[in-house]
Amino acid sequence: MNSTDVRIGIIRIEGTNCEQEIFDTFRALDTNPEMVHLKQLIGNCSPSMGRDLDDYHMIVFPGGSSAGDYVRAGAIFAARIRNKLGPEIQNFIASGKPVLGIGNGFQVLLELGVLPSPDDAMIDKPQAALHTNESARFECRPTYLKHENHGKCLFTSQLPRGEMVLFPCAHAEGNLKFHIEEEEEMLRLLEENDQIVFRYVDPDGNYAGYPWNPNGSIDNIAGICNSEGNVLGLMPHPERVIFRYQHPDWTRDQDFNAPGDGRVIFTSALEHIVKHY
Amino acid sequence: MDMNDLIKKRGVPYPLCEVDIFSASDHDLLNISASMGLNLSLNELYEVRDYFKARDRLPTDIELQSIAQAWSEHCCYKSSKVFLREHIFSIQHPDVLAKGDAGVMIFDEEYAYALRLESHNHPSSIEPYGGAATGIGGIIRDVLAMGAQPIALVDPLFFGPPSTKEIPPGTKSPKYLIQGVVSGIRDYGNRIGVPTVAGGVFFDPSYTSNCLVNVGCIGFLRRDKLLKNAVRGVGDVLILAGGYTGRDGIHGVTLASAELDGSPEEDSHGSVQLGNPIMKEPLIHACLEINERGLVSGIKDLGGGGLSCVVGEISLAGGCGAEVELDHVLLKEKGLAPWEIWVSESQERMMLATPEENIDEVMEIFDLWDIPATVIGRVIKEQKVYITYQEEIIYELDLDFLTTGPEYCRPCAPPSPSAMEKFISPTLPDDLNAVILSTLADPNIASKDWVMLQYDREVRASTIVGPRQGRVGLHGPGDGVVIKPLTDSNRGLAIAVGVNPWFTSLDPYNGGRSAVDEVCRNIASVGGRAHALTDCMNFGNPEKPERLYEFSEAVRGIGEMARAMNLAVPSGNVSFYNETAQGAILPTPTCLGVGIVEDVRKCVTTDLKRAQNPIYIIGETKEEMGASLLYRRYGGKGGRVPEVDPVALSQNVDVVLKAGQADLLKSCHDCSDGGLAITLAEMCLGGDLGLRLDLSDMGEFNFKTKLFSESNSRFVVEVDAARRSEFENLAPDAIYLGMVDQDKRMVIHDGTEKISVKVPAMRRAWNDTMWRLMK
Repeated sequence: MNSTDVRIGIIRIEGTNCEQEIFDTFRALDTNPEMVHLKQLIGNCSPSMGRDLDDYHMIVFPGGSSAGDYVRAGAIFAARIRNKLGPEIQNFIASGKPVLGIGNGFQVLLELGVLPSPDDAMIDKPQAALHTNESARFECRPTYLKHENHGKCLFTSQLPRGEMVLFPCAHAEGNLKFHIEEEEEMLRLLEENDQIVFRYVDPDGNYAGYPWNPNGSIDNIAGICNSEGNVLGLMPHPERVIFRYQHPDWTRDQDFNAPGDGRVIFTSALEHIVKHY
Repeated sequence: MDMNDLIKKRGVPYPLCEVDIFSASDHDLLNISASMGLNLSLNELYEVRDYFKARDRLPTDIELQSIAQAWSEHCCYKSSKVFLREHIFSIQHPDVLAKGDAGVMIFDEEYAYALRLESHNHPSSIEPYGGAATGIGGIIRDVLAMGAQPIALVDPLFFGPPSTKEIPPGTKSPKYLIQGVVSGIRDYGNRIGVPTVAGGVFFDPSYTSNCLVNVGCIGFLRRDKLLKNAVRGVGDVLILAGGYTGRDGIHGVTLASAELDGSPEEDSHGSVQLGNPIMKEPLIHACLEINERGLVSGIKDLGGGGLSCVVGEISLAGGCGAEVELDHVLLKEKGLAPWEIWVSESQERMMLATPEENIDEVMEIFDLWDIPATVIGRVIKEQKVYITYQEEIIYELDLDFLTTGPEYCRPCAPPSPSAMEKFISPTLPDDLNAVILSTLADPNIASKDWVMLQYDREVRASTIVGPRQGRVGLHGPGDGVVIKPLTDSNRGLAIAVGVNPWFTSLDPYNGGRSAVDEVCRNIASVGGRAHALTDCMNFGNPEKPERLYEFSEAVRGIGEMARAMNLAVPSGNVSFYNETAQGAILPTPTCLGVGIVEDVRKCVTTDLKRAQNPIYIIGETKEEMGASLLYRRYGGKGGRVPEVDPVALSQNVDVVLKAGQADLLKSCHDCSDGGLAITLAEMCLGGDLGLRLDLSDMGEFNFKTKLFSESNSRFVVEVDAARRSEFENLAPDAIYLGMVDQDKRMVIHDGTEKISVKVPAMRRAWNDTMWRLMK
């Protein structure tokens, strides 16, 4: 299929607020994105506004503060999805179509139990949480990520392993934690299943503490995928660096129009869709 | 007379009173004004009495409250209008598309941008978190009401020094206020997904008992979607959408029109509104969608005065009046008196004037986003507002009476010569290296990362030049920020703030002029040409002649400079009464400027780029040290405040922009607080490179003046070494100072070596202050 036939659903509720730049990204890549309210997917709207999840080739849970994040970030959005759209989401994932959650969207995927889900099911209770940043502050700063995936994650198929990218982060709750008694086992499983996609590093590529790891996340983990590799959740925002001019230091003699570091996430997913559908 | 005899309950099953202003003595009238919180003067009360006498009936409480809102300083600018009309309103500019809730300017053939800056000072002094958050909410609504998508927030903040130990009674510690205000902006701005990109944080003891929170917003829209804040005519209904109406934010505007008195805070807490960003965020989507589909005649935001101001204004702007059924307003709680519903400033509310046939479609959009909305009234031909409540008419006022507030020409006089500051020369240590390090660590210069890192500066992914400039992890401060609002166009918007309260205090006229100069410089530094200004004039009590003099002189300065630089001033705001028993704040004319960047690929930042590139200063340095940072830090008093020569400013801006267009500039930074010394130091920080300079060619005057004078209209530029002669041909008056150096050290000669400071030491001094003070 052509990229122009690729339909992307960007799922929003009140407080999701990064959908515009995700929409712009997919437009820049000549696909057919649509912002769709959760109520349009569950039929709680006038019939003309209704949408079917299966009409999309990929769905994205954007960043923001869905429902205000007044309880655990992402928890309310996830609860509404689980209630009204649980089986549909499960089928969508099982069909192998790409699902991306960025920032608050990553938090939603964890709350839904579709990540890390090493045994590949949607589980009733979250197996991991994105806890308040260790600094106890909202952190908006550039972060360097090292690509750690051996090939499972379809979102990084075009990014060589070991490569470093700069994605900005902007969040108050990005500190990945597991149940303390399952921590070791979980990390082992994630490694074994090739589910770790990005780790925070310093500008020299070394695993480092704050501020290069902006939140204190375990093992410097910034992004993980499910065991099939078609669901990716990450805290930093690749959609904010689609062009070089969106990088914080582009005026230092960089090519204004060159692709930004984040683009590869989206082009990798598109390549997968165009090949398989 | 007894108040109970003057304010009599009408025989209805809800709280409604008639107020007997006919039998009231002067003393009684003032008592009525005080007990109802009207804040009206005796002469204003006479005028109200005449109006009702002519109609032979007593006013209801809701009518009096409504008049008090409309006639407050905050709403009708009664003390400032005379000066604004002369110096600001009269400025003509062909690119102004609208002057409404926000100003709207041409961006290109298809698009426009909106801008506005306003104050939320009094609420933030009382309740910093809620005050600041709702300030953001309010400014967002102003921009939204023009049909624009908010794309950037700008928040200049002014506090007492965080280290202040002696806190006057009734005020809160600066540290608490900073924490609260920054958290309020963070939680609101981040949640609604609009980047906070610029602002500044300023410290002076005069702000200790009256902090200033100025909130600005830039919006972006298609020109054919520009909305007027007006009904189209009879056939329109009024839809109130967004938050429920409650008792929060009652009398916000009348509070803002008087001095804070340090009384127990319970008295004024109810005047601060409660913010709910998760109502605002979808409200933005819904209003823009409704506008996109062409379903609406006009939108207006509910700000100061609530419904009492918006219904009259949106109707009259369309040459009409309105009938309102107050029962249809959705309430947070039962038992509100009609007057409370009418003047409540509850947040996240918008008024939409919509043709009746579009109601269903409009409601469907609000419903998708779960936004409460109801039709509360309809437009009528007569220019009056009628209110019914439980089928009884409780309000009937002529709009020209209500909205033509009083206007004063209050006495205005310069301070007596004896009150003028005598000149005292500052006492400087011998070691100028130490002066530079200490000045970099001054809270007014030091890094504001403690604040900025908490704001999402990049959401919407269009902030292409941010406030932290330089190598990742090793940045310095920038002058302006640049937004690229369209993915498929390289035209950009440069945004910058200019204000110098210390200059303004010593010399209000040149303080006003300097604020505009700073805006133009900051915008030119990144590669833009200033296009529009919006100002927020924060001053003391205008009933004191010397305060009003400061205001009038600052306005004159800003107006003259705007004309000279061909800047539009399509919106603005005045905040008086920033004064407590401890005295007035420094007069603070905050200017927010927006410039056009023709080609964002040519943007320049402040960080040094490469060793061996030559460094020049553009613009004349003069013996202008009055109110400079150096004088303030080292005990200097009086002296000459920098003047502005708009011809020189224009020429220097032209040189910078031409050199930028020709790709000759590698970095550029204006000279501002702390003078040339701080400009150079900050350029080293961002590039993590050193400088080797000699200031001899700047002329035969004192080295300290060369380093620390804050003369206006100056830029330091780093030029591409390979194209030096091209630059020198283009800028024959630029003075060569030396070169960028690989050695991370700032070395400055004036004949002999005078300064040698390591860049890492400067970075520590600049970085650590705020983190230490806010611990």
